[in-house]
Amino acid sequence: MSSSTGSTTGGTPAAATPSTSAGAGTSGSPGRLAEETAQGRTTIAASVVQKIAGIAAREISGVYSMGGGLSRTFGALRERIPGGGTGASNIAGVQVEVGEKQAAIDLDIVVEYGASIVDLARAVRRNVITAVERMTGLEVIEVNIAVNDIHLPEEDGPEAPPVPATPAPSRVE
Amino acid sequence: MTGAGTSGSRAADDELARRVAELVAAHPAVVRLDGGIFGAVATYLPGHRLVGVRVDEHGGPVEVAVVLSLAAPIPEVVAQLRARVAAVAGGRPVDVTVSDVVAGPDPQGGPVAPVEIGP
Repeated sequence: MSSSTGSTTGGTPAAATPSTSAGAGTSGSPGRLAEETAQGRTTIAASVVQKIAGIAAREISGVYSMGGGLSRTFGALRERIPGGGTGASNIAGVQVEVGEKQAAIDLDIVVEYGASIVDLARAVRRNVITAVERMTGLEVIEVNIAVNDIHLPEEDGPEAPPVPATPAPSRVE
Repeated sequence: MTGAGTSGSRAADDELARRVAELVAAHPAVVRLDGGIFGAVATYLPGHRLVGVRVDEHGGPVEVAVVLSLAAPIPEVVAQLRARVAAVAGGRPVDVTVSDVVAGPDPQGGPVAPVEIGP
């Protein structure tokens, strides 16, 4: 958390999530860009940053899905709230805090088995920072990544394969 | 067009709001106009509501709220929109709100409605 680019944590991010949930809403904290001149001001909604970060994180192969535990629940809940954001699938597992010039991003991801989590997290962080800074002009001060779960390839096959057609011979006579 | 109690400047503001809505919706990166973060960016016209544009009645800012596609960086698009609107707004500041984005250069198959017109 204290490093300038954020932290990677495994397991449940229960301690980290609530502090940012206030800023994670789609209508709660409008971000403002710095250019408040006589020409007018520019406001970028927090959901915009959320969506861009979610898309950028999913672009990295090895990220199986996003969200986990609480944030999946809230994502499903948010979909039902009018004005809660239509692209809730894009923003599951993404919490943002948007200030006048800066943004902080927390991600909950589920990785695919076989990916190096450290390398993956580094790639996700780099892509998210690049995308958000390029697309919104906000400076990303940190991207905290919580790896919630690991996805095993057997889990998503058809239901039948786990049970072989012919029962394995008994190991005991 | 002119209802009871509508002053001349009010009518001019309404006309400005219409032109701004057309100009903004014509930008390729604008998916649609939007009501803004609290849905308050709208102009109430006789017969319908022009969502996404609000002209301050005391000569204040012209507010525009849009949903953009992610085809181009937001600051660039906002600067272009501001320039377009400023050209007709007569020196008023132009406040731009990006209330949402749509992934990809095209909105997902849906028709691009330039202006949402309520009942």
